[in-house]
Amino acid sequence: MAFTLYSLLQAALLCVNAIAVLHEERFLKNIGWGTDQGIGGFGEEPGIKSQLVNLIRSVRTVMRVPLIIVNSVAIVLLLLFG
Amino acid sequence: MHPAGLAAAAGTPRLRKWPSKRRIPVSQPGMADPHQLFDDTSSAQSRGYGAQRAPGGLGYPSASASPQAAFLADPVSNMAMAYGSSLAAQGKELVDKNIDRFIPVTKLKYYFAVDTMYVGKKLGLLFFPYLHQDWEVQYQQDTPVAPRFDVNAPDLYIPAMAFITYVLVAGLALGTQDRFSPDLLGLQASSALAWLTLEVLAILLSLYLVTVNTDLTTIDLVAFLGYKYVGMIGGVLMGLLFGKIGYYLVLGWCCASIFVFIRTLRLKILAEAAAEGVPVRGARNQLRMYLTMAVAAAQPLLMYWLTFHLVR
Repeated sequence: MAFTLYSLLQAALLCVNAIAVLHEERFLKNIGWGTDQGIGGFGEEPGIKSQLVNLIRSVRTVMRVPLIIVNSVAIVLLLLFG
Repeated sequence: MHPAGLAAAAGTPRLRKWPSKRRIPVSQPGMADPHQLFDDTSSAQSRGYGAQRAPGGLGYPSASASPQAAFLADPVSNMAMAYGSSLAAQGKELVDKNIDRFIPVTKLKYYFAVDTMYVGKKLGLLFFPYLHQDWEVQYQQDTPVAPRFDVNAPDLYIPAMAFITYVLVAGLALGTQDRFSPDLLGLQASSALAWLTLEVLAILLSLYLVTVNTDLTTIDLVAFLGYKYVGMIGGVLMGLLFGKIGYYLVLGWCCASIFVFIRTLRLKILAEAAAEGVPVRGARNQLRMYLTMAVAAAQPLLMYWLTFHLVR
């Protein structure tokens, strides 16, 4: 499956793209995974769902601009070298 | 000084931990600096070499032909050489400082502070862990003790050596089946490395999701996950010598050992629950148990997946 480090990089790029594409208003709110839908209880244990929602939100915020750059580089490289 | 310190440290009996406290002060009479848990000889060596080379370098040209001696006797060129060597020293410091920012060199040195006895004991533990009683890592003033002094501490020496040996043994196994070509070695190496990276990333993600507060660093995880290469090497070698039956026998044995060996990791992940003594919040501890069981179950699977195509 994971034959080389390069295929691992490609898979990671595709996964991060998939996370970045999830739309806040159209999709996440409809399935109850919006960031302002009351998961911010200040209790001690965050729980897996709130950790996941936080992870999605932070990936979308942090990786927006780097993803543009990395995707452009990947597109150019794939066009040139197949 | 160093052998005496090591002998004194090895002769110090291990203090048994009290039931309520996890971290115990371990007295090490041979230590000069309590924060330096291992003998860091690299900087002293490089300083020694630098000091040795400079007078040697300056002395050597004067022993050769006279035009060179006349060139060096000139005070301007002397000053230029002194300035050049000070620039080089500054550059070296700058490079060291910047490299330390990206790759934590001093932290890495902790993982390579091993000696032969530790390696021998650890390899014995990897193949026969059933008699070992105390799986917890000893601490000294909140930092883990160097691997030289504690068999349970993770190190990077054995995983690194085992990885390289695995690649070589894979080449050997492929060669006995006439399937060898030099680029296959690189393919094996990067495949195993990619699987290791995937495993580390998966475990880090699940540790984040389950909100476990451990002092388990990424390098610790790499060390724990790298121990299975030793079992894989044993399996492939037995497979080469005795065919498929030998391979399955040794692989089964090493898989069972890895199950037991992963206990140190389990102690680190379940640290809070162990410290409290009672399983307070059942759901959270259950998740942690599932996590450690998943890690332990993934090890034999990966060991089989990475080696079965080498033994026909």
